[in-house]
Amino acid sequence: MDREAPDQRPPIPISKRTEWADVTPIPQDDGPNPVVAIAYTDEFRETMDYFRAVYLADERSPRALQLTTEAIHLNAGNYTVWQFRRLILDTLCVDLHEELDFVGLLARDNTKNYQIWHHRRWVAEKLGTNATSNELQFTEEIFSEDAKNYHAWSHRQWVLQALGGWEDELAYCDKLLQEDIFNNSAWNQRYFVVTKSPVLGGLEAMRDSEVAYAVKAILAKPENESPWRYLRGLYKDEVQSLVKDPRVASVCLDVLMNKRDCVHALNMVLDLLINGYQPSKTLENSIDALCLDSGLSNSGLTERVCSVLQVVDPIRANYWKWRKSGVTVEGSNGKELAG
Amino acid sequence: MADEDPIWEDAPDSPSSSSFFDRDRHIRFLEMMYQLLPSPYQSQEINRLTLAYFVVAGLDILYALDRIDKEAVIHWVLSLQAHPKNEVELNNGQFYGFHGSRSSQYHLTDDRVAIPNGSHLASTYCALAILKTVGYNLSLVDFKSLSRSMRNLQQPDGSFMPIHIGAETDLRFVFCAAAICSMLKNWSGMDREKAKDYIISCQSYDGGFGLIPGSESHGGATYCAVASLQLMGFIDKDILSKNASSCTINVPLLLYWSLQRQAQDGGFQGRTNKPADTCYAFWVGGVLRILGADKFIDEGGLRGFLLTCQSEYGGFSKFPGSLPDLYHSYYGFCAFSLLKERDLNALCVELGITAIAAIGL
Ligand SMILES: [Zn+2]
Repeated sequence: MDREAPDQRPPIPISKRTEWADVTPIPQDDGPNPVVAIAYTDEFRETMDYFRAVYLADERSPRALQLTTEAIHLNAGNYTVWQFRRLILDTLCVDLHEELDFVGLLARDNTKNYQIWHHRRWVAEKLGTNATSNELQFTEEIFSEDAKNYHAWSHRQWVLQALGGWEDELAYCDKLLQEDIFNNSAWNQRYFVVTKSPVLGGLEAMRDSEVAYAVKAILAKPENESPWRYLRGLYKDEVQSLVKDPRVASVCLDVLMNKRDCVHALNMVLDLLINGYQPSKTLENSIDALCLDSGLSNSGLTERVCSVLQVVDPIRANYWKWRKSGVTVEGSNGKELAG
Repeated sequence: MADEDPIWEDAPDSPSSSSFFDRDRHIRFLEMMYQLLPSPYQSQEINRLTLAYFVVAGLDILYALDRIDKEAVIHWVLSLQAHPKNEVELNNGQFYGFHGSRSSQYHLTDDRVAIPNGSHLASTYCALAILKTVGYNLSLVDFKSLSRSMRNLQQPDGSFMPIHIGAETDLRFVFCAAAICSMLKNWSGMDREKAKDYIISCQSYDGGFGLIPGSESHGGATYCAVASLQLMGFIDKDILSKNASSCTINVPLLLYWSLQRQAQDGGFQGRTNKPADTCYAFWVGGVLRILGADKFIDEGGLRGFLLTCQSEYGGFSKFPGSLPDLYHSYYGFCAFSLLKERDLNALCVELGITAIAAIGL
């Protein structure tokens, strides 16, 4: 099969090609009252008319395969075309490595298309563990252009779970985070690896070193939401352990002393206090310093944190006010507000 | 806070943006789209019902449904439904919903090779949403074969495939299934408990939802999760004040994650540390509305951001200063409806159509 590169459109209309002379194209029947009709280009219309003809004739031939290539270039979302292509690939026993090359070229131009990624998975599934390193590498190529590509991350997680290749995954996350510490997709992947990798021993085993990793990232860029959520996520269903880990309160204090009005640090302090954390005098003093700046009253510490947040995070001022009212109503037992 | 954050750097200035929601211009924009979609939309030909949904439901939000021929719309939408020929065919494992367009719909003569029907959950959702919007009585739709065959699409983990020939399964299609059942007032098409378990498994460590278990929290996926739970009756009215342990999902984390998506420029981002984008004003704003927490949105900031995405040609673009498209236009209208813009119809957020359409007047 010769394959066209995505941007090289065939110069000759299909109706003028001798190899298609025996086929009668089938025009689209749009019915008497079409709604939101589309101004098709001639190329689109003709390609789909010929596609209808081979599809209805169930012609699983090399030229039909080539036609699906052309149709996919024009509308990569057409699942009927993709489905027919898979039938042809099976029937003709096409070398699937070639198919991966085709999908690879397409995916680079249409990185947000679901059908392309579904097709890629179909091919990789057929190739099995032979495809593992190739597939991981492929997603890395996509990430070098767009490190947050949602489809590529889903594909990568599927490869890891279905075909393996976990060994270097934590190091890969670290590499991406060193390139961009704000890359939330890489933080998410890190959480995925830490909780799911069969070679690391799970969240319990990894928690200690991961807390240290998150704390380091927070201290480097306290305004970065990602490591704060990651740190909180490490204790997702164990709030009491979060409260008991001295490193959590400590990183909040460090940040508040230096970058004093950090919303994420204040929110974490609020989480701690609501869950029974007994604040150190130093922490209380650092909050008081912020209160003095804002001219806030001398109420309970939890309320004071909310008051500071109302001032330093004006976009969410109503939310922090509401949080404060919850604290006031519930006293120090306002646990239902804890995450 | 935001000064060092890289996400603000590439937001272009848009000095030409207007200071008010230009309803008349938006109506003209949708009328043009209703007449003929420009050729770049041909790459989305397979989802023509979805494009029609944006136009028709959009006109309804704008209070301008009188601009279209409702009978023609009903006739066209119904012509895209797949019908089993008989009882045997109904039990053949296929899904009998709506085709997204003619290019997945083939009528065959009896002696030809049987080609499976290509009806799709998202198209079916859009078809029913359009029909409800133009006031068609859904009890006239052949909902028995639709509901019964929809069960074929639900997976053992509770998620849904959109089409019986196989495709990716994720939260989008759980939402489509829930919205379909809700509109048909018939839940025999899905196992709600299983769907709920799947949704719960998609909640991420930061409180938002990913499209599949393990994937990154995303505004659109979070909408699908929360709207589905709402449609299936799993979200209590006063969910914010309830004890967290009585809820199936972690509500406080979800609330905090959702509110954090409002960025310093006032718009909503779909994911942490990504630029704000028009459509998330609806996806995330809608989640907040369902949770009863839209009172926490900075409405002035959001309105300001959205107006920078309003196009001089009518419609909305994804980012300030770029060209408008139908998708972002529709969700821009939805966002302004959430902001209670005057002369706009109110939304039924969890169905993605107006409240009047949802009631079925
Ligand atoms: Zn968008």
